[in-house]
Amino acid sequence: MKRRIFLASSLSAALSGCSSIGTKLNDNAAFHNFLGVSESLNRALLGTHGLAREYADSDVDATFRINGFDTPMDAHYSRLQNGNFRDYRLLIDGAVERRRAISLAHLNDMAQQSNITRHDCVEGWSAIGKFRGVRLADVLDLAAPKASARYVVLHCMDRSPEGLPYYESLDLHQARHPQTLLALALNDKPLDAAHGAPVRLRVPTQLGYKSAKWVGRIELVASYSNLFSGHGGYWEDQGYEWYAGI
Amino acid sequence: MTPDQIVYRHSPGTRITHWVFFLAFLALISSGLQIFNAAPYLDASDKSNPARRVLSIDSTQDSQGVTTVFGHTFRTTGWLGFGDDGMGGRTDRAFPGWITIPAYQSLADGRRWHLFFAWVMAVCGIAYMISGFARGDLQELILRPADVPKILPMQLYYLRLRKEPPPHGKYNPLQKVAYTLVLFVFAPLLILTGLALSPSFDALFHPITVIFGGRQFARLWHFVLMLVLIGFFLTHISLVATQGVFNQLRSMITGRFRLGTHDGVGV
Repeated sequence: MKRRIFLASSLSAALSGCSSIGTKLNDNAAFHNFLGVSESLNRALLGTHGLAREYADSDVDATFRINGFDTPMDAHYSRLQNGNFRDYRLLIDGAVERRRAISLAHLNDMAQQSNITRHDCVEGWSAIGKFRGVRLADVLDLAAPKASARYVVLHCMDRSPEGLPYYESLDLHQARHPQTLLALALNDKPLDAAHGAPVRLRVPTQLGYKSAKWVGRIELVASYSNLFSGHGGYWEDQGYEWYAGI
Repeated sequence: MTPDQIVYRHSPGTRITHWVFFLAFLALISSGLQIFNAAPYLDASDKSNPARRVLSIDSTQDSQGVTTVFGHTFRTTGWLGFGDDGMGGRTDRAFPGWITIPAYQSLADGRRWHLFFAWVMAVCGIAYMISGFARGDLQELILRPADVPKILPMQLYYLRLRKEPPPHGKYNPLQKVAYTLVLFVFAPLLILTGLALSPSFDALFHPITVIFGGRQFARLWHFVLMLVLIGFFLTHISLVATQGVFNQLRSMITGRFRLGTHDGVGV
């Protein structure tokens, strides 16, 4: 009995000491930044290579779990939604040769690709869905990115409960990855509002928060450091990694 | 050897990596539990599937912590499911704040710590293996066929059913079993399941996820292997505590170990 009490208390003492020291270190900005070296190391060593695993139709989750925020409630989105997205235009601007405003009908007329892939949320859960849409690479080609463009920033028609705009970014290599889609349909049906209608990003080689919903504008930039809080995405600005490979 | 002789037991490489392992192990457990809290359930499947749920830690409407293991539900209020929020209050939370890094709920920070200390563990593990094999320390720790018949007598000695331990080298047969399993089976599996969940590994090499039964299954194995290593850790410190704490700690700090009544009964 004594031994069991000793064991339990020594483990608890070690972990609780670890937790309180860890929390103090975590709140120290210099130490917190230092911990970030692992992301740089992973990004440099591993990069974005390989393909996400593709699955069979029978693996698909009929009700694909909704990730991230609820459907935008603002007037602009509601108006587009009520008009069945006839007035929707995907804007492509920034470091491009030709600024574009592409309608949903145009996107649907482009070459379509679909993949059945697993969506892994940073929280830890996974779901499998069949996404159909156009390759982001093809959409970028319509606008012809300039040589100075290094990142593709996706601005969403969505704000957090605190009013911060949702955005995400990929480097050009990730954006041109063969499985990276601007998805228009999920499980053989046009995207519904909760899953990002009319257009969402789908990057199966990266964690779910990268697959931004309700994409309204694509901006090509040389650097994302002067956008919002400077970390390249809504969740990145909250402390999550920019490099979110799976 | 005469009793009470001081011998040089642990090389500097072993001693340094031992304490780095210790710190990294605690940091990885605490930050790992923080990460678990963001999706407090484990499924024996590739994608999430409640029908194949092995463990879930939840809370009820009336603030009771509820833990379900293989379909058996336990009230765990205050410990699991509902407890310390890490900021002086109580909240719905799988693992309580006093055990996680940071104490308050923050998946982003938990991941930051976990991915950092995974690197510390990896570098330290490589250093330990190189130093251990180069100096011959590890060869003395690995279980060999000749040790197998000595396992039972050693166990009988520990159970006080036998007066003398069987003759053995620097480490006794049971130590060799434990260390061989930890160093060459459990730790590698823990690392592989971690890699299956690590950035880009699945895209680069699907089998790393497939062999464990898929992504969620890898998450389950990773958790179970953590429990196994915690079991080893508890056995280890209980033996340290009962086999001469001062002598044992000294040998892992200065390298010097006093041979005596506990000769051969290592930790």
